[in-house]
Amino acid sequence: MLKIKILKRSVAGFLTLTAFAATQVFAQGAAQPDFSGAWTTYRGNGGAGAFTAPAGEPKLTPTALAARKEFQSLTEGTNYGAGNACVGSGMPSSMLGSGGYPMEILQRPDQLFVIYEAHTEIRRIYLGEEAGDPANFFPERNGYSTAHWEGDRLIVETSRLKTQVDSRYPHSNETTIREEYYFDKPLEDGTKVLAADMTMTDPLWLEEPFTTTKRWQAMADYHVLSYECSEPKWLDEMEGLYKAAGLKMVQE
Amino acid sequence: MKILFTTLTTLMLATLATAPASAHHSAAQFDFRNTVVVEGKVMETRFANPHLKLIMEVTDTARGTRNIEFEGHSRNNMLRQGLQPDMFKVGDNIAIRIAPMTNGEDGGYVTAIRTPDGTEIGQVTSAD
Repeated sequence: MLKIKILKRSVAGFLTLTAFAATQVFAQGAAQPDFSGAWTTYRGNGGAGAFTAPAGEPKLTPTALAARKEFQSLTEGTNYGAGNACVGSGMPSSMLGSGGYPMEILQRPDQLFVIYEAHTEIRRIYLGEEAGDPANFFPERNGYSTAHWEGDRLIVETSRLKTQVDSRYPHSNETTIREEYYFDKPLEDGTKVLAADMTMTDPLWLEEPFTTTKRWQAMADYHVLSYECSEPKWLDEMEGLYKAAGLKMVQE
Repeated sequence: MKILFTTLTTLMLATLATAPASAHHSAAQFDFRNTVVVEGKVMETRFANPHLKLIMEVTDTARGTRNIEFEGHSRNNMLRQGLQPDMFKVGDNIAIRIAPMTNGEDGGYVTAIRTPDGTEIGQVTSAD
């Protein structure tokens, strides 16, 4: 009798769990939007000249202010800078600005690729089984990002960031960033608008979490281009070699 | 060739909004408040990212004839403003609007180009 009771409970439990899981999969699958496409900086309904930059400024701690001041004393008014060295922005600058260039999102169930045109900077956002333990990865300028869906919103958590003073948003390696992606109200002509609420938390360099919202609008008439930033430097080096050897360089 | 000096009363906001110059290096070396038009013969071009490289043969009364190297917007930004690969070539005479060097030396940052057939990428004829 006891065996039958246990079997009945197990079967009932299994069926309940299966039904629950199926409901969840269906609910999530039905609600998940596809963010794939080319996106440019949000200009709203104001036309090409309009520009809406993310609002707000982070409140930096004295440690951060000192680090930024030191960096600026070395680089201000010079050609030294991450961008000029063909180094990508890193989070959160890549997501909040990226030099005003567009970005492309390629979405599949277990991973989102965000390709920022400037410097062809790529972020990988891992979902589900592809998401690893961030602690197992080396720090990067864009950190390590994992995500999950909450209804029709994609929640992205980023950690393993490097300490960065060459960023529009200086931060320590203790920083974590939460982004919440969703489709916002479309423009009057129906153009899709993608938005992300971003919160950056840094116990060392921020007095309080910095929160802002970034918006993009779909690029209906164009696509994201290549951006081979370091090629000119290589061509200059080649040209120097050829000149020194008295040869004419044929490469373009 | 002649160099025409034009004073801007307003900052080139529209240009700067689309130009990532400040993202790549300091813009302090260029005077964006006092842009000028330069006419000359194209000696070398490199349409590249992050910046355009343009060498032109320019003549003026003060310094005579010489080759001047300019830089400008990224290839991607200029393409989006309407620049096409074959609009001008080495040997063509073109006009460019530049933010000159703040130290007065030759060179500057190209913000607009007028091609041999009169097509303007950005605003050369009148200030942005």
